[in-house]
Amino acid sequence: MALTHEFSRRRLLAGAAAFGGGLLLPGKAPAYGGAKPFSGVTLNVSTFNAPFARILTKWLPEFEEATGARVVYDTPAFPVYNQRADLELSTGGAAYDVLNITFIYSSRWIGAGWFTPLDDYIRDANRTPADWDVEDFLPGLRAPESDKAGRLYGVPWTVDTFISGASRFDLFKNAGLGLPDTTDELVTALKAVHGKEKVAGFVTDNHYGWTFVPFLQAFGGNVFRNPPDDLTPVLDTPEVVAAAEYFARILKEFGPNGVLSYTEDQALQALQNGRANYSAIGQTYLSQVGGPNSKTASTVAYSPVVRGPAGRFPGVATHGLGIPAASKNKDAAWAFIQWALSKKNTRRAIVEERYASPTRRSDFESAEFKRIATVNGYDLSEIIASAVDLAARQGHMKYRTVPVYPQVDQQLNKAIANIVSGQLSPKQAIEQAQAGSITDLRRAGVAI
Amino acid sequence: MAFLNPARPKAERAPAGWEQTRRRAYLAGLLPALVVLGGITLLPGLFLLGVSLTPLSLVNPGTVFDFSDPLGNYRELLRDARFHNSVLLQLHLSATSVGLQLAAGLGVALLLNVRARFFEAIRAAFLIPMVLPPIVVALIWKILYTPDVSPLHRLLEEAGLPVDSLITDPTLAIWAIAVAETWQWFPFTMLMVLATLQLIPDEPLEAARIDGANRRQVFRHIILAYLRPALVVCGLFRLIDSLKAFPLIYVLTNGGPGTATEVTNYYGFIEAFNFSYWGYASAIAVLMLGGVFAVSWLVGRLGWNEVHHD
Repeated sequence: MALTHEFSRRRLLAGAAAFGGGLLLPGKAPAYGGAKPFSGVTLNVSTFNAPFARILTKWLPEFEEATGARVVYDTPAFPVYNQRADLELSTGGAAYDVLNITFIYSSRWIGAGWFTPLDDYIRDANRTPADWDVEDFLPGLRAPESDKAGRLYGVPWTVDTFISGASRFDLFKNAGLGLPDTTDELVTALKAVHGKEKVAGFVTDNHYGWTFVPFLQAFGGNVFRNPPDDLTPVLDTPEVVAAAEYFARILKEFGPNGVLSYTEDQALQALQNGRANYSAIGQTYLSQVGGPNSKTASTVAYSPVVRGPAGRFPGVATHGLGIPAASKNKDAAWAFIQWALSKKNTRRAIVEERYASPTRRSDFESAEFKRIATVNGYDLSEIIASAVDLAARQGHMKYRTVPVYPQVDQQLNKAIANIVSGQLSPKQAIEQAQAGSITDLRRAGVAI
Repeated sequence: MAFLNPARPKAERAPAGWEQTRRRAYLAGLLPALVVLGGITLLPGLFLLGVSLTPLSLVNPGTVFDFSDPLGNYRELLRDARFHNSVLLQLHLSATSVGLQLAAGLGVALLLNVRARFFEAIRAAFLIPMVLPPIVVALIWKILYTPDVSPLHRLLEEAGLPVDSLITDPTLAIWAIAVAETWQWFPFTMLMVLATLQLIPDEPLEAARIDGANRRQVFRHIILAYLRPALVVCGLFRLIDSLKAFPLIYVLTNGGPGTATEVTNYYGFIEAFNFSYWGYASAIAVLMLGGVFAVSWLVGRLGWNEVHHD
């Protein structure tokens, strides 16, 4: 056993060094000196389906060729992924070697010890070349992927910031309007454009625990009293009720038929096909309205999310690739993460695939990203950067990475659906969400 | 059974005769099957019951064998308004969908109970929904119910009769699921009823007609009497299956709008897989299991599945 262990470690180190060299030429790099350090290893990788995940699918043969590892890559839809990963992690399963650490689950998954700290891998020169540069990933995006001691568990691969946009800005211009900057202006604008040329005024996806909260905060409310230290839900305030009434109104009055069933993909389709006009949604989706497959690419316009009486509170979420604690192939898993998020590959995603959610500062500030992020004269990189800065400065996203947010997230989903469908008044729905959140949090052992 | 009678004098007891030997042989033959059955059904059931007596939450490993408050989950369920709502919705969905399936299955079977090649071919076509994977059925209905892409909605809109989305209407959403469920499963009843219809002897039908019974009376007093056990079995099967409703709800409504379609099974799923409260979800599952046993026992007790030819 000792011999085998020694042999495999030596082989691993040699292979890792070779692979590190190979990373200098990603996409073309054959393993250094012909070594394939992970021959015979099957690496099971899963993230939710997203643009970067799809890009990696195309490039996987390069990684397999360079390392000898075989990659089984699984990218289910977001909710399916989360349920599957949560179950797998919580039962200590070793089925996956690389998993996405989902933003809303980050505190729970990391806090429960279900992922491997990556700092040792990053510091080890045999495993990670110095120019891989973990500091290049925006600090605000590394923070949710770290524990309280500052150890990093996930390397951010995407950032999603809440922005606004109009797929048919021409209808706004025809009505003599620009893009709204405040919640009041938004209602005025939607009244003017809704139904014009059979285009619904407003659409967003039905994950209201994400899409409603920027409005909730803009009206002066919050989800918890002082996250992460005081997790007492504070949904039953007049500010939250007013925000819920406002948000439900724009969905109900200006949304397309069946808007309550719209997922992110459906909302994107409606915007790209010109069936819906204005949206407040993550930039990962909204940026695609300006893409080559969109019928409304020539008329789309972008702006920061509207501000309310209390200010502007764009949502910012990030997701990172991490190694489950039970993985049996951690070295190969790290090699995969390092390859996937190397400087050359993240830049290549921007240049070759028009990837719109970089996480490295160098990518963010690059001319290549500025070029693809400018649509019809609107600089998305500027809107995204200012949203990330604002979130870091205001700390308004702290509500989202606490272990019990998934429970409250669902209460908010139901509250908005209950109001829009006329089952409950805004006050009743929000009171129910507050009571439900308290019950759920108590059941989770949170002291309230 | 006499050998079990304790009042019988000892001297009169028969020695281990052929009947006792036969019983032992039956038991010995059955034992392996009973052991396997116990292993694959009883043990998981007991495990479920055990878990339901703990506050097991996967994010809190200390809760795994915590039996300090074994009835805690059940007490919590008594207070849980969302659970109560889910039970009412479950009853609504089960009653509606099973009722519709029995009616549609019976109706179509009566229409197809003709000895002709054309109708035999049609019978096979009617079975298609039943053999489709549930997720495919859910996708078909998701398309039909989504106004943006639904041919049904477009047709109605062009006819000047636009209809709001059914799956986002809190009153109609549960009906929309029941209709999709009926579409998928009425062929099961149809098949069973058709098979039973073909077993009904001609004599009682002819005798009734000779006695002057009209078609309605023949159907009511003879055909339906023969069909009743089959319908009860179909109803029971479908009722038990309806308690497991999941793919349609997951794809079509996700339990919404609000909690308008969040039936008990779906609520249990959310508690287990969204929030990792396995103890609580197990308690929900145990109550559902109890409900299924109660329904089955009641049907057997009332004798609805027995044939009465008198």
